[in-house]
Amino acid sequence: MATQIVMDHTGDTRHCFNPDDPQALARAEERFKQLTGLGFTAAVRTAPGEVAKVQSFDPTAEETLFFPRLVGG
Amino acid sequence: MTLMFRVRRFPTAEARLRFNALSKLYRKFFAENTSETRGLRLLRDWLSPDQRKQFDKLGYFDVVGCNSRRHYRIYHNVRPPNVYEIDSTGCRKMGLCFAPLGQLVKGDIMLAQKIALETDERTALAAANRVPINRCPY
Repeated sequence: MATQIVMDHTGDTRHCFNPDDPQALARAEERFKQLTGLGFTAAVRTAPGEVAKVQSFDPTAEETLFFPRLVGG
Repeated sequence: MTLMFRVRRFPTAEARLRFNALSKLYRKFFAENTSETRGLRLLRDWLSPDQRKQFDKLGYFDVVGCNSRRHYRIYHNVRPPNVYEIDSTGCRKMGLCFAPLGQLVKGDIMLAQKIALETDERTALAAANRVPINRCPY
């Protein structure tokens, strides 16, 4: 199972999907486009503690994390 | 006759406060499933082993900016700014105020700050408001 983790006021919301299921994969890709379209940043783990920002949907990613756009405090 | 004075070193008030805060944080972390604890679990999951060790011990962790290779320190238990650029001795040089938009828990905010500085430092710095530091408290 793969997971898309979206940061929110509850801590996070997790969307799990089977990457071998074409319909689930399509929904996950749609969610990716929707969130990044809203300004969320998407990131994946490349190694323990190492993170990479991703610009397009990666169907092989085990976990993709989304956080809202940054603003000055 | 020589008098020997044994000087007992007590931890500073600040160290005691930090220890108490960390103890409280970890009791909460292991006992509850609140939004705050979920945020902290997510943060710990995504930290490098060294960052996790530093965070567990000190309540902050250091990151290296992907563009400038400057060092930044991200704190858990202080009022904003909670991100500081630090020099080679670990002294704070500049406070940086930036966070993800919306009502997020502390762990999530810290993780977003880490990822931003490690993967897109320029964007993070462009969003940040800078707070000058007059002295080095640590």
